[in-house]
Amino acid sequence: MSAVLGTAAVALGLAAAVLGMATLALGLRRDNPDMLRAGQRYVWLVLAGAVLATFAMQYALLSHDFSLTYVADNGSRSTPILYTVTTMWSALEGSILLWALVLAGYLAVMARHFRNRASDPIVAWATLVAFGVAAFFFALMAGPANPFRVVAGAIPLDGPGPNPLLQNHPLVAFHPPMLYLGYVGFTIPFAFALAALITGRLGEGWLVETRRWTLFAWGFLTVGIVLGAWWSYEVLGWGGYWAWDPVENASFLPWLTATAYVHSVMVQERRAMLRVWNLSLLVATFSLTILGTFLTRSGVLDSVHAFTESPIGPAILGFFAVVVAVSIALIGWRGDKLRSPGSIDAPVSREGAFLANNVAFAAFAFVVLLGTVFPLIVEAVNGDQLSVGAPYFNRMTAPIGFTLLFLMAVAPALPWRKASAETLHHRLLWPAWAGVLTVVVCVASGLRGLGPLLAFGLAAFAAAAALRQLALSVRAARRGGSPVWRALMGRSNGGMVVHLGVVILAVGFAASSSYGHRAQFRLAPGESAGLAGHTVTYLDTATVEKSNKKTTSARVRVDGGKVYAPALHQFPFGSQAIGSPSVRTGPFSDVYLTLIVPPDAGGVAVIGVNVQPLVAWLWTGGAVMGFGTFLAAWPGRRRRRAAPEPAAPGRPAPVPEPATVAS
Amino acid sequence: MSRRLNRAALNWAALGLVLVVALAIGARGEPGPPTEDSRVRRITSVIRCPTCRGLSAEQSDAPSAESIRDEVRRRVEAGETDAAIKGYLVSRYGEDILLQPRSKLVWALPIVAVVVAVGGLVVVMRRRRVPSSARTSRADQELVDRAMRS
Repeated sequence: MSAVLGTAAVALGLAAAVLGMATLALGLRRDNPDMLRAGQRYVWLVLAGAVLATFAMQYALLSHDFSLTYVADNGSRSTPILYTVTTMWSALEGSILLWALVLAGYLAVMARHFRNRASDPIVAWATLVAFGVAAFFFALMAGPANPFRVVAGAIPLDGPGPNPLLQNHPLVAFHPPMLYLGYVGFTIPFAFALAALITGRLGEGWLVETRRWTLFAWGFLTVGIVLGAWWSYEVLGWGGYWAWDPVENASFLPWLTATAYVHSVMVQERRAMLRVWNLSLLVATFSLTILGTFLTRSGVLDSVHAFTESPIGPAILGFFAVVVAVSIALIGWRGDKLRSPGSIDAPVSREGAFLANNVAFAAFAFVVLLGTVFPLIVEAVNGDQLSVGAPYFNRMTAPIGFTLLFLMAVAPALPWRKASAETLHHRLLWPAWAGVLTVVVCVASGLRGLGPLLAFGLAAFAAAAALRQLALSVRAARRGGSPVWRALMGRSNGGMVVHLGVVILAVGFAASSSYGHRAQFRLAPGESAGLAGHTVTYLDTATVEKSNKKTTSARVRVDGGKVYAPALHQFPFGSQAIGSPSVRTGPFSDVYLTLIVPPDAGGVAVIGVNVQPLVAWLWTGGAVMGFGTFLAAWPGRRRRRAAPEPAAPGRPAPVPEPATVAS
Repeated sequence: MSRRLNRAALNWAALGLVLVVALAIGARGEPGPPTEDSRVRRITSVIRCPTCRGLSAEQSDAPSAESIRDEVRRRVEAGETDAAIKGYLVSRYGEDILLQPRSKLVWALPIVAVVVAVGGLVVVMRRRRVPSSARTSRADQELVDRAMRS
């Protein structure tokens, strides 16, 4: 049943996307508004296909329909319901289905948002491009990555369940959907970018139209990445949260280019500059989401030569190549229209800072991309095997990170066009002192190491700069008689809140990676050990057998207080025991416990202890960034202006400060 | 006016001085030669754990990482140099045991790229630009203006 419904739903989605493209193409060719409107309506069929296919997959998973290969390979009767639901994105075919579902959702929102402008060529072209992307993903499901393939031969009675690591923590219910909302969301601005190139309407209108879409996608991607780091911290058991693993890098790369874009787009809106660059950043962001899918889903990372074994790798790589080639060709074709009328007057100005920001983010993305694919390229070229790991990434990206923190501190204070020494002095002096005094306090309290001290100092500088902007905005709002919460809304104020989130995250990153302690202790019941000012006492071990796993958990008392239970899980089909750490999270330091070796005959167990400061700041920072994005995407004052308003006596006087001018 | 500027300059100079002194104190590591523990940590942090994905032998609790730590400790205690120990590990496990590749290319390329990019930017910004043929449409311009005001 599920197989039939699912296959039919995928066929529906594919057919609707292709027909939608054809109708729009014809309508554009004949300049026929009715056809354009009709073409846009296919969006609802695409959505219906995706929703039905998702329903079929969930039904198959929940009813343990092992006649589907996907369920037989990834489901099991003993898996709890939550993880049965999340099984949909625990393997390749299902995650393509999730991708298609999210994309269909975005398409539907886009169609609804632009429903009155269906006959506008730029909207029609953008819808056509988005249909094309949807058609590709539905075609993947209809062909090489079919989630509804039926088992050949006897139907198994049970399955192995999802990868044990993916049924260990409820975050798997949130991290992948968030990440996909981010990845897929960039399809819409990308589609508008191509539409602008095709129609030649390369003014700044399409940028403004897609601004909020980009922000939402960026916010989801940010939260998705941070949740992923949190998941790996809570589940993987090595005490860290970011290993520069190719899977992590694949999500980070589009984030870097998208972050560059949300900054440089402001230069284009204001000064009509950097048009080619902004288009390139959007194209890069979208194609990096595709490249990331290729890297993580084709098996190329396990071996360069393995990815051609299934047709999925070549299909995704081919799509990536088409996206890049078409975009470059279009940008080249419109080259003369893209030449910008403006230019940068002085390097020390807001636009100069944005430019530096973009160079830094581009360099960051380049380093991450190079480090990720370098081993693949070397192996493909001469068969040598080498690794590029965390030490490389840390060393190469640290200077870029410092540069970005510095720019984050300075840029909000810089006026557009040109900054005078007087302005710089006036606006930057006390934030700079905040940074320097932070360094002094840190050194005085015994912290050592150039890297973390620089990070703390620059973070304080940037935080002070952001707070100064917010304070100015609040003051302006008060003077203008609008409520104070208004002062946090809008792009530049929300952006400052995002900056505060980045600062919190950066401090957490610098502190936890510089001042951590780790040790393993062999402890008999009742014995204690100390590490970095904390005492852990091993009490005893208990074993619990459940339907889906056998769990051995140690009870460990931390600092004479609460008892924590790091555990080892043995899954019936998994060969290796999977550890699950237990963490005492605190605002200033985390005590991270793992059970490394269960008790031997004499009762002695090996407990891993990892003490790291300020880990919780990472998750807090991520949450603040997400919240700030929400504020930035908020319609601001525009909605109120819909009502006719008297000519400005009640409005805040224009203050020559970026906080109020550039929102 | 100039007196005010002078005071400003003094203020910034004081700030720079305090910063440099604080960083100079803060950047000084532990006095004396590195201990055996710190050498083991330093070496194993750039050695891949053979059975994990993306983790160093210093970070991982896997038995294979444990045995590399023991081996490195033995050799550190025997007085071998860092390079000799890494050389031994490469001969035993292969080049890909090193998390920092010895290939110069992967280190140099980003630096070259940044230098070229910044150089190119400076050149482009200095050059006189030709006025664009692209005129923004009025509707677009209005949208932008409205967005800027919001």
